[in-house]
Amino acid sequence: MSIVVDHLNKQFKVHVRQAGWLDAFRSIFKREYQIVEAVNNLSFTIQSGEIVGFLGPNGAGKTTAMKMLAGLLHPTSGAITVEGFIPQEQKAEYKKMMSLVMGQKSQLIWDIPPMETFLVNKAIYEIDDNSFNKTLDELVALLELEPLLNKPTRSLSLGQRMKCELAAALLHRPKVLFLDEPTIGLDVDTQEKVRRFIANYNREHKTTILLTSHYMGDVTALCKRVIIINHGKLLYDGDLDVLTEKLTPYKLLEVHLPTLPNQSWETYGEVDSIEEGKVTLRIPRERIREVSARLLQEFPVHDLNIQDPPMEEVITLAFQEKSHG
Amino acid sequence: MVKKFMALLRMKYIEMFAYQWATLAWSTGAMVQPIITMMVWINIYETEMESFILYFSTLILVERLTAAWDVWDLDRDIREGSFSNYILRPIHPIHWAIAENIIYKGLFLVVLVPAWLVSSFFLPSLQLHLNGWEWMLFISALLLGGGIRFMFSYSCGLLGFWINKVTAVYAMFEGISLFFSGRIAPFSLLPPIMQDISLYLPFRYMIGFPIEVITGSVKGADLGYGFLGAFIWVLIFMGILGFLWHAGLKKNQAVGG
Repeated sequence: MSIVVDHLNKQFKVHVRQAGWLDAFRSIFKREYQIVEAVNNLSFTIQSGEIVGFLGPNGAGKTTAMKMLAGLLHPTSGAITVEGFIPQEQKAEYKKMMSLVMGQKSQLIWDIPPMETFLVNKAIYEIDDNSFNKTLDELVALLELEPLLNKPTRSLSLGQRMKCELAAALLHRPKVLFLDEPTIGLDVDTQEKVRRFIANYNREHKTTILLTSHYMGDVTALCKRVIIINHGKLLYDGDLDVLTEKLTPYKLLEVHLPTLPNQSWETYGEVDSIEEGKVTLRIPRERIREVSARLLQEFPVHDLNIQDPPMEEVITLAFQEKSHG
Repeated sequence: MVKKFMALLRMKYIEMFAYQWATLAWSTGAMVQPIITMMVWINIYETEMESFILYFSTLILVERLTAAWDVWDLDRDIREGSFSNYILRPIHPIHWAIAENIIYKGLFLVVLVPAWLVSSFFLPSLQLHLNGWEWMLFISALLLGGGIRFMFSYSCGLLGFWINKVTAVYAMFEGISLFFSGRIAPFSLLPPIMQDISLYLPFRYMIGFPIEVITGSVKGADLGYGFLGAFIWVLIFMGILGFLWHAGLKKNQAVGG
């Protein structure tokens, strides 16, 4: 087992204050605090080489949990082991076998080129010349870094910087990789490249990866399994497909016709949308075959697509389901 | 470890040249306050001009070579969460700061020593006649002073794990240090009570003591006590630093991201 999280809790004591001049002044004499339970009795395990999506709405506790896994934060209670190490013990051996990439925090040295950060990491992580050159060549080719290596980091675009961040985090070939919003702010093309890179990297190096992202594209492309949390509590841990089937017991049937007949579609299924030459219906999964056959028989269908509901919808339902329960 | 440290030195050297104008300002800007203070004292004690020139020139040199700015970096890095990147790497973050100090102080030496040599042609009071032993004592006092000042600044910076804007606390100590480190006036001009107090505070050993060693105003047993005091403060700050580091990591909120 690569990662074991056992009844993990993290509480923060947060200073609360009302807005306004008077309350700002009052807070000098009387400070009020609130205990925030960022992570609440969280348990899960991850196998070596597995790639798992870690999902939840804003403020769910994902990043806090990830920072505890990386050893940046000490748990209030509970236990974590990653490849046999206790992260908060801050052992150098542990730091050498893992990496945390935070989409909103840079490890690159800001005013000098990324290559300088890579060379510092080479020395700090004690990477020998051969491995360094081999890994760097591989990363430069996969992430198309060649033109970026010698420009000051501050002059790179967000997407270019993110690719360099990934390279800096992977030079020492970590066995465990924590990716916190690795595609945040990137354009669609770069998102796709980064996703493809992560998938390849996981396949080739059997790296254990825990990934948080607000882009469902990242999750569907990379993760078979997802862990969903909200208010620091575990909501779901399992197969993404099973979650989809459980929460959305229907599929979307997209029917393309030369002209849309003026008729009611309710006899076939719930109408999701009607556009020029296209109607999209929500059909219970067990009726898909029957409804498709009827439509093909009764209309001059140009094209017919059967799709799962968008992942955003599934995840939104997953968050709502538990907050109701 | 040597390889790691050399890589940090190299990186800091390259980084220093990325900040050309700031580096120039740091090298020379700190001369303004001692020069003005010197002119004030010369105005008061005209006959002591030569000794004031030697004292305040040495002050400029010692102040730059023991300068510590780490509290500003730590305050910002901890408050904004970028300190996490240093904690995550398998080398203690203090090594980055030590490497930066060595590189910048090397530059200060390169700027200030030639400036001293040129000035000494015109100002005879700057012509030093020290033997090897006296140079060794001065360099030792300077290294101890630099160490104390660095650890004091770094320890204050680590308080950023507990309080916001820790630079305000540091600025208060800097104010006290102006008087007790000998930056406003040589110790001989301070009231006797302040001279006595200064022996028990760390500030004298940061700047004033190395100046006293090179100007020959501390001798014999007092010299020994001076080194003992400096050494004790080094040990005290090593203890404080170690404690704050371990306690701070537990307190760390790793904000942002």
